[in-house]
Amino acid sequence: MSRPPRFPRRAAAGAALAAALALGLAACGGGATAQDAAVGTGSSFVSGSYGTTVFQPGSRPQAPAVTGTMLTGSTFRLSADRGAVVVMNFWGSWCTPCREEAPALGALARHFAGAGGGTGPGVRFVGVDIRDDPASAEAFMRTFRIGYPSLNDPNDAVALDFSGTVPPAGIPATLVIDRGGRIAARIIGPVSYDGLKALITQVSAERS
Amino acid sequence: MTGQAVQPDIGPEVPPDAAPPDDFGEPAAAPGRPAARLGVAGWLRWGWRQLTSMRTALILLFLLAAGSIPGSVLPQEGTNPAAVSQYYASHPVLARVLGSLSLFNVFGAPWFAAIYLLLFASLVGCVLPRTLRLAGSARQPPPRAPANLGRLPFSATYASALAPEAALQAAATVLSGRRFRLRTGPGWVSAEKGYLREAGNLLFHIALLGCLVSIGLGGLFGYKANRLLVTGTSFANTVTALDEFHPGRLVSPGDLQPFTVALDHFSASYVTSGPLTGQPASFVAAIRYSASPQGPMRSYALQVNHPLVVDGVRVFLIGHGYAPTFRVTDGTGHVVFDGPVPFIPVETSGLTSEGAIKVPDANPQQLGFAGVFLPTAVDAGGRLESAFPAPLRPMVSLVSYAGNLGMNSGPPQSVYTLDTAGLRRLPITPQPLAVGQSMKLPGGLGTLTYTGYQQWISLAITYDPGQLPALVSGIAVLGGLLLSFMVRRRRVFVRARAADSGGTILDVGGLTRSDAAGGFEDEFSSLAAEISAQAAKE
Repeated sequence: MSRPPRFPRRAAAGAALAAALALGLAACGGGATAQDAAVGTGSSFVSGSYGTTVFQPGSRPQAPAVTGTMLTGSTFRLSADRGAVVVMNFWGSWCTPCREEAPALGALARHFAGAGGGTGPGVRFVGVDIRDDPASAEAFMRTFRIGYPSLNDPNDAVALDFSGTVPPAGIPATLVIDRGGRIAARIIGPVSYDGLKALITQVSAERS
Repeated sequence: MTGQAVQPDIGPEVPPDAAPPDDFGEPAAAPGRPAARLGVAGWLRWGWRQLTSMRTALILLFLLAAGSIPGSVLPQEGTNPAAVSQYYASHPVLARVLGSLSLFNVFGAPWFAAIYLLLFASLVGCVLPRTLRLAGSARQPPPRAPANLGRLPFSATYASALAPEAALQAAATVLSGRRFRLRTGPGWVSAEKGYLREAGNLLFHIALLGCLVSIGLGGLFGYKANRLLVTGTSFANTVTALDEFHPGRLVSPGDLQPFTVALDHFSASYVTSGPLTGQPASFVAAIRYSASPQGPMRSYALQVNHPLVVDGVRVFLIGHGYAPTFRVTDGTGHVVFDGPVPFIPVETSGLTSEGAIKVPDANPQQLGFAGVFLPTAVDAGGRLESAFPAPLRPMVSLVSYAGNLGMNSGPPQSVYTLDTAGLRRLPITPQPLAVGQSMKLPGGLGTLTYTGYQQWISLAITYDPGQLPALVSGIAVLGGLLLSFMVRRRRVFVRARAADSGGTILDVGGLTRSDAAGGFEDEFSSLAAEISAQAAKE
């Protein structure tokens, strides 16, 4: 009758060790590791997963009230373009896919430049230049013959304005805003001339 | 010896038929049993028991720890992709093998996920049934009194003048006065104390589950991001503004807390004498931040290990370096670049830093420069090196290229290195430039001016909603463990039988489940004496 009482003490201690190790591991994963931490941030931007999101007329989120300063110094107000289809492109001169899509965007802006005709405002293109210096941005616009203006957005204020509705979620990102100021489509990644042309044509055919 | 005889192992927490005998020990189903008799369900049950055994959990935990080693030894895609490409360049064959084993992305590797998912399943599968069982055991009344109390480790016999019922009643009064839980039957009283042990055990197990759930929560709803920020600039916590973004499974870009951080000034001080010369003494980043786009800007002194906490998100200062500023005028006379370029430190004693300037919109040809920034440039036998990390004599030395930077199409490239495949090195000897000095490129391709330098900091942004619950659970785990170790569960039984000479004979027996801490002997004798005294008094 001297068999020692069986208690799960060993098991409990083992489980405690497991928990402590698990916590320790979790802690390693979360904290900062001070000075030796890597600063090499690779391609140094988040390119997002490419894709197009189209919102049907009934379910379009309202675009935020975007205001800002253009690279040229003038003031931009998105609400001033109400009645026109607005194509808003987030770009940077340093970003390879932005440079890839730039010729298509420049050509589309020229294509739609006269589309308003006599019937009212047509299609307006506006860029949002992010993480860039103005000299590089202007050189980019000369290279790709971009005729439309761009917002200078050093604080990411414009991207932040959209974070509650349709965040850009990568660079480049293009938003098509309908005549009523609602977001009709978002494209993450480089646009194609034909794809974006079809989208703009469709949205601009709608009545406001 | 009766069926009610003493069991030293006084009652496992469960009836033996309710669960496998020991879910922490050896598997109940013998592995050697022929498969034919086990059947599919049997094998599944066997597999589940193997998985949820403590041994498997410990092996998985060990694997998890061992699996993390390459994550800290080898450069990782998530934290340092530049170093990964460097590794590929210097060890092409080995790197390909390591890469195919996901050793450059350990924490995102399928095998790593398999380990921690199995560990999670193992721990939950082990802890959950135990928790349920403990909850039952904590509510259980004391067992019936054994027939022969004299066989218990502690026992005593007393005579009392009272009738058996009255004597038992007196004993019950004493025991309940000592806050024992009582159960009575014909001619006996069972009492048990120390249920706090079970409560502690229960707390420990529930808290362990809490830990697991918290860690899971963090993985689902948390995110990590990095951002390099040059002095005088700012950024918002939105995906387009981040250098690296590692969202949890259920995080969408719209979920990011919309704060803004601006870096006004960064100061680093270094030890200037003695054997530690050049070692960092302190780093302070003077930042301003606002929690929301329209919110007020507040000031904060960000330091290593003193993160900024904004809207539940922690922003850590994890590194710093220099960003020399350049102005590039191209062959057509346009200013095609004018701004800071972050250079990455390659050594710590002098903060020699490497970087690349890409000017894709220069005409007639794209221009690229690669080189080093030396905070305190000194001539070491014809070679320039940096003698001190502070910017005492900040100079740059650049190699110039022209041609195709490969930026107009193709995959995104690192901003810190030049892809020289489409570039031609210009016939100009790289000479060190001091602030304000220019370098004229041959062939009328343009001019580069080294206009100054800024400092940059790198920030790690972490949001882990599981952190606080994990901390609370962790404390509760320890608390529960202490309780279950320090509180003894002990039982006292009293049987009363009528004596031949009138009055009552009281048998008192005591048992403790573990007496590692000692002291039950004393407690029992004082109890027994009190019971005897009480029975004698009335």
